[in-house]
This record gives sequence, C-alpha cells and structure tokens, in this order.
Amino acid sequence: MYQDYAYLIVGLPVLAFVLTIFLGWHLPKGGGFFTVLATFAGFILSFGIFREIYPNNEIVHQSMHWFASFNAGILIDPLAIVMLLMVTFVCTLIHTYALGYMEGDPGMARYFAEAGLFTAAMLGLVFSDNLLQLFIFWELVGLCSYLLIGFWYRKPSAASAAKKAFLVTRVGDVMFLAGIVLLYTNMVKLNLTLPDGAYLLQFQTIYDSLTLIPPDQLTWIAVLLFGGAVGKSGQFPLHVWLPDAMEGPTTVSAMIHAATMVTAGVYLVARMFPLFYAAPNALMVVAYVGGFTALFAATMGLVMFDIKRVLAYSTVSQLGYMMAGLGVGAAVGASAVGVSMFHLIGHSFFKALLFLCAGSVIHAVGTNDMREMGGVLKYMKWTGLTMLAGSLTLAGFPLTTGFFSKDEIIVTAFEHGALGLGWLPYIFAVVAALLTAIYTFRLWFLTFDGEPRSDYHKHESPWIMLGPLVILAIFALFMGMPSQENFYEYVGNNFEHYGVDFEELAVIGGHHVEHGAEVHEPFIIKILPIIIGVGGILIAALFYSRWKRFDSSMITSERDPLRHILLKRYYQNEIYTLWFAEKVVYGIALVSNMIDLKIIDGTVNKISAISVGFGGTLRKVQTGVIQNYLTAIVLGLAVLLILIQLASMGVAI
Amino acid sequence: MIENAISLMIAIPLIAAVFAFLFGKAAKYVALIGSLVPLVISLQMFQEFDKASNAMQFVESYDWVPAIGVKYTVGVDGIGLPLILLSTIVSVLVVVYSWGESKRSNQFFALLLLNEVGVLGVFTALDFFLFYIFWEVVLIPMFFLIGIWGGPRKDYAAIKFFIYTHVASLIMLLSIFALYFSYRTPEGLRTFDMLTLLGATGDSTMFSPMLLNVIFFGLLFGFLVKMPAVPFHTWLPDAHVEAPTAGSVLLAALLLKMGGYGLFRIVMPMLPNVSENYITLMAIIGVVSIVYGGFLALAQKDLKKMVAYSSVSHMGYVLLGAGALSVLSVQGAMFQQFSHGLITCVLFMSAGTIQHTAGTRIISELGGLADRMPKFAVLMLAGFMASLGLPGMCGFVAEVSVLAGSFASVQPHMQLYVLIVIFGGIAVTAGYHLWSMQKVMFGPILKKYLDLKDPHSYELLSMSILILLIIYFGVQPGTITDIMGVAAEPLVKPFIAMAQTGVI
Repeated sequence: MYQDYAYLIVGLPVLAFVLTIFLGWHLPKGGGFFTVLATFAGFILSFGIFREIYPNNEIVHQSMHWFASFNAGILIDPLAIVMLLMVTFVCTLIHTYALGYMEGDPGMARYFAEAGLFTAAMLGLVFSDNLLQLFIFWELVGLCSYLLIGFWYRKPSAASAAKKAFLVTRVGDVMFLAGIVLLYTNMVKLNLTLPDGAYLLQFQTIYDSLTLIPPDQLTWIAVLLFGGAVGKSGQFPLHVWLPDAMEGPTTVSAMIHAATMVTAGVYLVARMFPLFYAAPNALMVVAYVGGFTALFAATMGLVMFDIKRVLAYSTVSQLGYMMAGLGVGAAVGASAVGVSMFHLIGHSFFKALLFLCAGSVIHAVGTNDMREMGGVLKYMKWTGLTMLAGSLTLAGFPLTTGFFSKDEIIVTAFEHGALGLGWLPYIFAVVAALLTAIYTFRLWFLTFDGEPRSDYHKHESPWIMLGPLVILAIFALFMGMPSQENFYEYVGNNFEHYGVDFEELAVIGGHHVEHGAEVHEPFIIKILPIIIGVGGILIAALFYSRWKRFDSSMITSERDPLRHILLKRYYQNEIYTLWFAEKVVYGIALVSNMIDLKIIDGTVNKISAISVGFGGTLRKVQTGVIQNYLTAIVLGLAVLLILIQLASMGVAI
Repeated sequence: MIENAISLMIAIPLIAAVFAFLFGKAAKYVALIGSLVPLVISLQMFQEFDKASNAMQFVESYDWVPAIGVKYTVGVDGIGLPLILLSTIVSVLVVVYSWGESKRSNQFFALLLLNEVGVLGVFTALDFFLFYIFWEVVLIPMFFLIGIWGGPRKDYAAIKFFIYTHVASLIMLLSIFALYFSYRTPEGLRTFDMLTLLGATGDSTMFSPMLLNVIFFGLLFGFLVKMPAVPFHTWLPDAHVEAPTAGSVLLAALLLKMGGYGLFRIVMPMLPNVSENYITLMAIIGVVSIVYGGFLALAQKDLKKMVAYSSVSHMGYVLLGAGALSVLSVQGAMFQQFSHGLITCVLFMSAGTIQHTAGTRIISELGGLADRMPKFAVLMLAGFMASLGLPGMCGFVAEVSVLAGSFASVQPHMQLYVLIVIFGGIAVTAGYHLWSMQKVMFGPILKKYLDLKDPHSYELLSMSILILLIIYFGVQPGTITDIMGVAAEPLVKPFIAMAQTGVI
C-alpha cells in the first residue's frame, strides 16, 4: 500500500519547497512547518514501506522511460530503506529544531525552502534505481549545500565557503561523471539484449554485467566513481570544503555536513559495492584513502578552538571510517556493506546530535570559540547532558552505538590485515579512534566543564530545540545494541536481491582470499577498542577537565613545528586556494587571454589590414555614418546578384 | 493544419517589421503581436509534426528563377524544427525584455522582427540560393543593432562583426557556387536544391575529391566562424561587449545556432564523402573551444565578455558531439544548440540588467547586489547554475549526451577528447560562474549600490519564463530530443557502416 506512494517521499518535500518559497514570507516561522510536515510524512511513508518489505525481504522497484536510453525510477531495497528512514527521521528532527533556531532570521522562508529542496534531493539520491538519476540528485544536493552554506550571503566568508564547497565537490563530481561515461560506454559495447523495462544504467543491469566488463575497465570505473565519493564525503584530498562549510547556520551543518549529504559518497560506494569488489585495486584505494582520512582529520580536530570546526573534522574522520569499512570489505565480502552502513546510520544520529547541541550552545553563548566558554553545563543542563551522550558514543564508550559500529569496522580492518591484505587501514583506524576520544572530550570539557572564561549569556534553549536533542541522544546511546545483528544481516544481504554472486566477482577481481577462513583475534585486540575509548576520555580529562593534572603547554610549545602545522591545517589553504586556484588555474586563464588578444585576434587584425589594404584607411571606414555601412551591404548584395547573373549566363551558354 | 505554415511564419514578422517601423511609439505592441503569431504557428507545427519520420515536412516549393534553377523551397525536419521553436520563443522574450527601449524604438523593434525573419528563413530554406539570402539578411539587423544602440566602441565592433562574418559568408558562397556548377540533374539542368546537391556529393564522377574537399572546407569555414569555434571566435567578444542587450541575446541565442545548424544540415551529409580525418579535426576544434573558451571566460573582468566566452566554450560541445558521430552524441549536440539558446539568453539578460541598473559590468566594481535585487538574484543564479551544467536543467542533459555519446563513439581517440573536456572544462566552467556570481551578487552590498532595486517586471518576466523552460527541458528532454534522435540517425548511419567495414 505505502509503496504505491513511494514517489511522495521526494514529492512532498518538493511541494514544501514550492509552498515555502512562494508563501513562506507571509506565514509565521517562514512556513517552516511545511518542510517539517513533508519530511515527517516522508518518514511515515518510509516506515510503512519498511513494514511492508521487511518481513518477506522484498524490494520495491518502479521505473519509466525518461529520454534516449535512460530511465527514471525508484528502487527501495534494504540499503535504500535504512537510508530513507535515517534521512527522514534525522531531518524531521533537525527541521523541528530549526523552527526554534532560525526564529527571527529575516530569511527564514528561504531557509526552509532550501532545506526542503535539500531533503528532497537527498531522498531522491537514495532511492534512485539508476546511476544517472543518482548523479542528478547528487548534484542537486550539491546545489542545496551551496545555497545553504551561503545562506548568510552578505557575509563574505559564507559566500566564499559556499563557492569552495561547490567547486571542490565539483572536482569529485567530474570524476563521477567520467566514471558514469566510462561505464556507459562499456555497457554499450556489450550489446546486451535488455528485457522490457530494463535500461543500461540501472543498478540491476550493472550488477548483471559486471562479469562481462573487462577487469581493467572495472578498476577505472570504480576509481572514478570513488573520486565522486571522495568529493562529496570529504575524503582526503578533497575534504577541504567541509570544515569551511560551517559558515552556514548550525542546522545546515547538522543536516548537510554531518548527518546526510556527506554520507552520499559512502552510500554510492556501498551501492556500487559489487563493482568495487570485482576491482580489488579500487577497493584497496578506498581502504587506504578512508583510513588515512580518518587519522588525518582527527589530528586537526585535536587543536581547533572553534567548536563547529572540531565537529567538522570529526565528521571527516568518521566518514573516513565508513569508507575504510567498505574498503576492507575485500576481506569479508558483502557483509562489509552492513558494517559500514551501520556506522553511517549511527553516526548520523550522534553527529546530528552533537551539531545541534553545539548550535544550542552557540545560540546561547553567542560565540563559536571554546576558549570563551567553560562551565556551560551549569546553565544548560539538557544541552550539556545530551551532548555528553553524543560525545560518549562518538568516543566509542563501551555499549554505546558508536562503540559497536566503530568496533566492527576495526575488527574488519584487523581481518584485512590478518589475511595479508595490508595492516595500514587497521593501524590508521586504531590510532584515529584514540584521537577521536581525546578531541571529543577535549571539546566537551572545554565547553561544559570548568569555570566560565568570558561573560556570555547564560540561558537554556527553548524546548522546541531541546526535544530533538533528547530524542537523538536516546538513539545515539541505545540504538546500537538491540539492532546491530539484524542490521548487519539485513543490509549485508542487500545484493542477494539482484543475484550478485560475490564468489564469482572474487574470481574476476583475483581475490586470493578464502572466505570463512577463521581469523584468530587475540584477546588484546578484542579489548583494545574499550581501552582506547575509555583511555582517550581519561587523557582528555587529565588535560582539560576540572580534574586537570597536566597542561597542554607541557607537551607542545608555541614554537613546536608540529603544532604549527596542525594549526595551519597542513597548509591546505595555502596549497589549494593560494597556489593551485589563484596561481595555476587563474594563471593559465590569464595566459590564454593573452594568447587570444595578442596572437589570435592580432593575426585576424593583421590579415584584414594587409588583405584589404586598409591599415590607415580603416579609420576612415569607421566613420560611424550608418549610410556608409549600408552602402557596403548593398554593394555586397549587388556583387552577389551579378555573380548569379553571370552564373545564369553560364548555364545559357 | 495550416496551409503554407512556414511561409506564413516568415512573412508575418516581415510585415510586422514594416508596420513597427511606421508606427513609432506603438512599435512594441506590433512587435509583440508580430512575434507571438509565429510562436503560435511554430507550436502548431510542432504538434502536427510527424515525430517518427526524418523526411522533410511542411514542404513548400515554388519556381523562382527557373532559368538558373533557383526555387523557393522551404521545409523542416528534426534538425530545423527545434531551432524554429527556439527562434520564435526567444524572439518573443526579447521583445518583452526590451519593452522599455525608448531610443528610436520603432527602428529597434523592426530590427528585432527582421532578425526573426532571417533566422527562421535560414532554418527552413532548402534551396542554397534562398539559404544564402536569409543568411545574409540576418547580418543586417544585427549590424544596425550594434551600430546604433551599441556601447562606446560600437563602430569598431560593428564593422569587425560585419567584415569577419561577411568574409566567411562569401567563402561559403563560393563553395555553394562550386557545388552548383559541378552538378547537373539527369535532365541536364542546374539546381540550387540543397538536398539534391548534398546527395550528389557522393558521386565522384561529378565531384573530384580535390574539389569536394575545397567545397567542404569553404562551407565548414563559414559555419565555424558563425558558431564561433576557436580560432575564429575573436569577433564574438567584441560584438557582444558593444551590442545592446537585445542584440547580444539574439546574437548568442540564435545567430550562433546558424553555424551549428549548417553543420548538421550541410556539412555532416557531406562528411562520408570526404576524408574521415576531418571528423577528427572537428572534434579537436570542439574540444579546444570548450577548454580554451572556459579558461578565457575565467580571465575576463567584464561580466558580459565572460558570458560571451562561455558561449564559445558551450558551442564547442556542438562540434564535439557532431564530430563524434554516434546517435547519442549528435542528438546531444543538437540539444546543446537548443539548450544553450535558452540558457545564454538568461546570462546576457542578467549582464544587461546589471549594466543598466548598476551602471557597470566590471566584475570587481560590483558587489552584494543580491541584497537589493533578491528576485533578480534568484533568476541570475538559476541561469548561472544552468550554464555550469546543473542537472535538472537542460544544459546538463545536452552535455552529458554529448560526452557519453562521444565516449561510446566508434571513432578512435574520441575517448581521450572526452576526458580532456571532462577534466579540463567542467570544473573551470563551474569556477568562473561561481566566482563571478560571488563577486557580483554576494558579500556585503557596496555603498554606491544601496539605492538599487529589482529591475522592471518585464525583464524579470522574460527571465522567469526562460528559467521555467530550462527546467522543463531539463526534466522532460524527451519532448524535443526524440525528434533530434530521429534526425541524427541518417547522419550517423554511413559512419556506423564504415566502422563495421573497417574504413575508420
């Protein structure tokens, strides 16, 4: 029943977008309730569909012809439904929160319109049944992030950050597009006879054809698609836009740069996992890039003082985990998808929570700088405690959601190493986990513990903001334990619906791994995540809490080069913006312009000067008197007619 | 079914042009009616058009100068019809956008109508003689639009535009004559009939390879200048910078399309009979235009000049798609013509509106306009997004079709070209659009612009309609790409056959 209305999951937020943009200016709260209701209705629908397809393990697929050899369609399988549920649920809460947070902003209607469009785009991306449609929504998500990051467009930093986000992700999108084009070409070459209603870029068709496409092509396709994911999901080296994207309202950060949009890249890799599995070199790239990003971003999270930036780097780092979790899937096959997606879902809850808490603090305190906070817990009990819940689960405190999900990725990475596929992802993941625990609680202690370090406003946020926090906190803490086993199985078996044979793909990819081979995990490895999680929190407590025993100046000084590099964020801005964009790219543009003016146009002018013998007389021709030109035209036509006349005489002769 | 639909469609704006010229202040009303009627006729034609056939439809043929084989023959197929729609739509919207024009308004609106006559003639003429006349007719209104309503260097720009494109036209004319004089019908007569002559180019007893190659290059040159393709593009920025907004819009949206139309109508049917290396040449010129044009746009300080160079870049897709010779790429190239026609209107209208509200188009002197012109900002942003290839808008569909179709082409090297475009062009395109958008519209508003407000409603109206069309054709491209696909098939078929026999 519900599945017949699946299109409304996207349709209603689009409707909300239209309504708010035209009517929102005249309505209380900018018509934000349209967006909230539409998103919530999407959740109800998704949940209804989930109830229908889960018991018998079915999928929903609807499709229609679009243009040329492409189609538009809806595909709801386990992978898609968990995303739909998460996005609609988290976005409903965030939009509700925004009703309070954005109160009083003159652009409220615009905010809710864009937020509605964003929700629609993200949901459309998730339930696409083919790669082209996925790409289209992918780009619309990018557009919305551009609009929302630049929401306060009068602020130069916001306008810059918006542009940067769009451009950097565009670099990834370019690769994604190249990947689609390459895949399409290979599919065309196969000369498949497609059954009725099947199209070349549909996932089903792609999965079916994997065994027919040459393996080197598969590797290229996979690497290019991953390039898109790198851009969208903020993986190294295209992560630079994400921390800057914090220029938008905090709800935007929570919605786009933490909970949903950035997960699109991970979702893409998960969606195309059979392809990656058949191309183990590409999978290796995913594992290493993901692992490295997890660690790299975590190091920067350690030194930032802007509360949102710490969370932003934490997002980058956690996305690295998800990527790595998929990448190390070479060791375990399709179940890696379940593991990684579980972290994705869990992360969405707790990162949305953390951002909204940070928003609540910023809303009250009026600054982003943690050096001016301190002791906030006394004045903001609910915010502080829910943020503690989010921090615990991010740090991987035992039995929280984040603990299970991260642990499972680390275990998989361990197997990856134990099977001889490389230890680096495991090492990256473990070190990053320790740093995560440290920076998370550095943030919490600096903000909520100790004494106020400036004279900030001391009041708790309204309940329309706190309500969503409490709900998210409950999920962040307790979702993991009861659901994890079912989740792994349900999502891990996603590709059975399409008859994907991972054994066969392993043969194509040349995996030398025998599945089911027992990997022995020593006891110390098993309890290591617990030690790391708790240990990291303790270290942070020793440095930053009221029980402080050390000071950070004891290990680093102002002149410490490492600290300097971290504060400078590895000179990324210098390299990306000042050198690459402004020197290299703009330099090429200037040189091109010079060539155009001096050489190409210069030649044209010279030729005209020589051939017409104008040179000096050109100035006389440019008398500006229209009659002269008219004479020229008439003369031209006269010549033409004479020619014709001659021609006709030629015929006569 | 309207009798003589095409002739009517061409005649009405011509008559209206005369009336507009005579009517003085009421000229704009005449112009609006005179452009709306052809729009209605073209829509009706689109309704009645047999979308599954690639034969010429609505054909009218009358003897004109029988002694030398000149006929008045017009007709449309899937190549011409979309461009006719584009012309009639854009003509109406340009009239609407220019509603406030007060300088010599009777002449101004008459010229807009005359321009419509010319382009509609070009897109429907099936007789080379007629084709050439219309081709030249188009020059006249544009020349005067630049020369009378243009900016400070209008004389230089007008004369450069005129000489450059006129030289190209003359070379094209010589090629047409060469075709004409090389061919006799079975009855021993000469003819200017386009389809007959083009069909005959395969006959090596009439056309020696040497001659045919010369003819081919003459025609190709004429069209490349018009498009314009690198390195024959330098007349375009000058013409645009000096042209009034309406002139720029017509120039970019319609006149450039004549070059692309010539490719599909005249050059491509000849391609199988000349060296296959020329295909590669076309594709390479296309790729260079896309990438080099993109970088040029990035270097510009004048918003309008930037938009002008973006046209060079976008028209490169037409050449690439045509040169790649797969059904999808050719269809994409045709659609690129259509979609660029819509999108570039918005861009030039934006530049024009900024010029006449803020008084300058120099990007670095502008800033924060969105604050005072919110509605205009939305429309301009939408146009820029369409131009950088945002999905959901028609430019994306066209470009993806060209890229995917070219990559899957039977042509060797084509994959390399596509990769160059993807990696060298797309990000740069996004770059200059976003950079200029940020500089002009966002950030704090500059003091001197505090009194600005949204432009006239007729300007906003025409831009809104264009955006709606851009989105409509981005979501439902099949409306028009289907007939393009039908038209593309016969163009591509000879090459598929050649590829199968291993010739290329």
